[in-house]
Amino acid sequence: MTELNRRRFLLTTAAGAAGLSLNPPVLAADASPVTPLATPPSASSVTPPVTSPLAPLVASAGEPPAAQSARPLPRLPIKQVEAGVLDVGYHEAGPENGRPIILLHGFPYDLHSYAEVAPRLAQQGYRVIVPHLRGHGTTRFLDAATPRSGQQAAIGQDVIDLMDALHIPEAVLAGYDWGGRAACVAAALKPSRCVGLVSVNSYLIQDISKAALPAPASVEAGFWYQFYFLTERGRAGLTANRKDIAHIMWKGNSPTWRFDEATFQRSAQAWDNPDYVEVVLHSYRHRLGQAAGFPEYEEIEALLATQPAIAAPAITIDGKDDGVIKATDGSASAARFSGPRQHRQLAGVGHNPPQEAPQAFADAVLELARNGKWRT
Amino acid sequence: MRLHITPHRLLAVAAAVAFAGGQCALPANAAGFKSIKQIDAGVLNVGYVDEGPANGPVVILLHGWPYDINSYTEVVPMLTKAGYRVIVPHLRGYGSTRFLSANAVRNGEPAALADDVVALMDALKIDKAVLAGYDWGARTADIVAALWPQRVKGLVSVSGYLIGSQEAGKQALPPQAELQWWYQFYFSTERGRAGYDKYRHDFAKLIWKTASPQWRFDDATFDLSAASLENPDHVAITVHNYRWRLGLADGEAKYAALETRLASLPSITVPTITMEGDANGAPHPEPAAYAKRFTGKYKHETITGGIGHNLPQEAPRAFADAVIEVDHL
Repeated sequence: MTELNRRRFLLTTAAGAAGLSLNPPVLAADASPVTPLATPPSASSVTPPVTSPLAPLVASAGEPPAAQSARPLPRLPIKQVEAGVLDVGYHEAGPENGRPIILLHGFPYDLHSYAEVAPRLAQQGYRVIVPHLRGHGTTRFLDAATPRSGQQAAIGQDVIDLMDALHIPEAVLAGYDWGGRAACVAAALKPSRCVGLVSVNSYLIQDISKAALPAPASVEAGFWYQFYFLTERGRAGLTANRKDIAHIMWKGNSPTWRFDEATFQRSAQAWDNPDYVEVVLHSYRHRLGQAAGFPEYEEIEALLATQPAIAAPAITIDGKDDGVIKATDGSASAARFSGPRQHRQLAGVGHNPPQEAPQAFADAVLELARNGKWRT
Repeated sequence: MRLHITPHRLLAVAAAVAFAGGQCALPANAAGFKSIKQIDAGVLNVGYVDEGPANGPVVILLHGWPYDINSYTEVVPMLTKAGYRVIVPHLRGYGSTRFLSANAVRNGEPAALADDVVALMDALKIDKAVLAGYDWGARTADIVAALWPQRVKGLVSVSGYLIGSQEAGKQALPPQAELQWWYQFYFSTERGRAGYDKYRHDFAKLIWKTASPQWRFDDATFDLSAASLENPDHVAITVHNYRWRLGLADGEAKYAALETRLASLPSITVPTITMEGDANGAPHPEPAAYAKRFTGKYKHETITGGIGHNLPQEAPRAFADAVIEVDHL
C-alpha cells in the first residue's frame, strides 16, 4: 500500500527540477531484464507441486541479499478458473474436501506472500486457495472490453465470484493491504459466506468521501506513489519501472524485513500482467476521488460508502514495524466489527505479515477456522 | 586553500563574539535582517533587504523553496564587508512581497519568477549585478543569465543548470527520483493544496530535513524562515509552480515566448561558478552533466562537510567566497 521511506540518494545527470533527465537507476533489481510471462495456462497445475509442505520457500531472515545470479526460488503451482469477469490464476493446497481458506495478497506483492502460510494450513487439513488478484500473475480478464477497474468493490466482488466458481459456500478470508481490503469488502457484502476474517491493519474499506482530507506531511510523503499514479507521468513511470517502484515500496513498507533478491524476483513476475498498470492506476485514482467507479460496481460502492460493519469473527493484525500504517491498538476501528474481534500486534513485522511472520499469520487463520461456525 | 567552517562552529563563534563584544546582538541566524524595504517592481510590491554601500557593485541573492531570505543572514555581512551592495528579495509568495493587483494570476512558472528579478533591477535602477541562488533561486538566476545576459555580471548557481521545460516534466524518472519528488505529485491534487496549506510549517520542516540531512538547524532558525511562508500567496504560487512543471497548469501568455526559449535549454554565457554540497538530500543533477551548458568562464565547486541543499545558510563562507570570486573570474 504505502510507505514512509525517505532514503536519500544522489541523482545522476542533467538539469534541474522539471528538466531532469536521469541515468538508469541503481537498484540491483533494476538491471535484470523483465522476464516475459508465459502464455497463461488454460487449466490445472503448471508447475510441479512442492513436495514437502513446509519446504523452505523463503530464505531465512538475516541472509545477505542474493546476487543477480541467485537461484530462482521454486514457484507455487498455479491453476486457472473462470470466475466472474476473470480467468483467475490461483494456488491450491490441501485436501479438496477440507474447509476452505482464501488468502489474499496486497500491492505490490503477489500470491507468494503466502508461500509459507499455505502449506501450514494445508497440513492442518484445510483447502487453501490463494488467488492472484486482478491485474496480477496469470489472472486475466475474459473480455477485452471489461473495464480494468481497481476499485474496492471490484476486488471484493472478485473474491465472491471466485468462491462461486470453486463452489465454496463459505470460507475463512485472510489478507493484507489490497487483499485485506478485498477480504473486508467480501465479508461486509456477504456475511453468510465469511466464517472468519483475518485483516492486517483492521478495517480497510475506504471512505472515499474523506479522500480529499490531507494527512500530516510525513504521512503524505509515505503515500508518494499514490499521488504519482494520479499523473500521466506516474502511468509512464509505473509502466517502465514497475519492479523498481515495488522494490522501494517493499523496503519502505517493511523496514525490518530482510527479504532477498530471489524472494523479490519470485513475486516480480506477477507485475508483468498486461492489466497491471491500468488496474493499479484505477485503484489509486478511484480511492483518491480522482477517477469515477464503473457502473457495474455502483451499488456495491454505495454500500461500502456507508462503512458497513463486519459481522464475521475477526482477528486483526498490525505489524509493529509497518512502514506504511502505524500499528494501532485497534480501538479506532472497534465499531466496524460487530462480531467477536481480537487485535494483535506483531513485533519485528512490517506491512506483509504472512510473508514476514508466516507462523503467527497462519495461527490467526487456524484459530478462526477451528472455532468457526461452519454451516457446511 | 579554503578554510571550511561548519555552520555549527560558525554559530558558536558568532555567539562567542556576541557575548564577548557585548555590542552585536544575537547570532545573525536567529535574529534575521533588521530592515526590510518595499518597492513596486513589475506586478509586485517586493520586500527586500538592501545592505552595503549604495554605490558598491551589486549582488542579488535569490532564495529557494520552502525557505526565505534568511538563508542569507550570514552571507550578506560577508559581502557587504567586501564592499558589495547586497539585494535579497523575497520571491513572489514569500515574506512581505505582495501582488499589486488582487486579480493578478498567482503564477509560479519559472519565467515569471525570473521576470520579477529583472523588474526589481529596473525598479532599483540596477543595470548589472552578480546573481546567486539555490533551489528556485538558482533556477531563477540561471534564467535571468540565459535570457538577459547583459544584466548579469556573474552567476553563482547551486546545483548548476536548472532550466527545464514542461515537456521534460512529463518524462518519468527512476522511482527513487520520483519518490524524492513526491510533493510535486502531491501538489497536483487538491488534497495536496489543502495539506500544504494546513500543515505548512511541518511540511517545510520535513523538506528542510530531507534536503539537508546533516544540517542541524535549530527551531529559532527554522521559525524565522517559516514565518515568510505565511504570505497569502504562498500556497498558490507553490502549487502552481509544481503543477506547471508537470504540465498540469498553464503559464501566462505573456511569458510563453520566454518559456519557449527556455525549453530549448539555452547556454549560459556569463562567468559562472556552480556549487554543490556533498550531502544534498534533494534531487539534483551531477555536475558533469551540466558543465557544458556554461560556455563562458566557468568553474564548479563541491563543498564538503555534510553540506545539504540550503548551501548559503549551511556553508555561508564558501558561498560568499564564490560570489566574490565569480565577480573576478
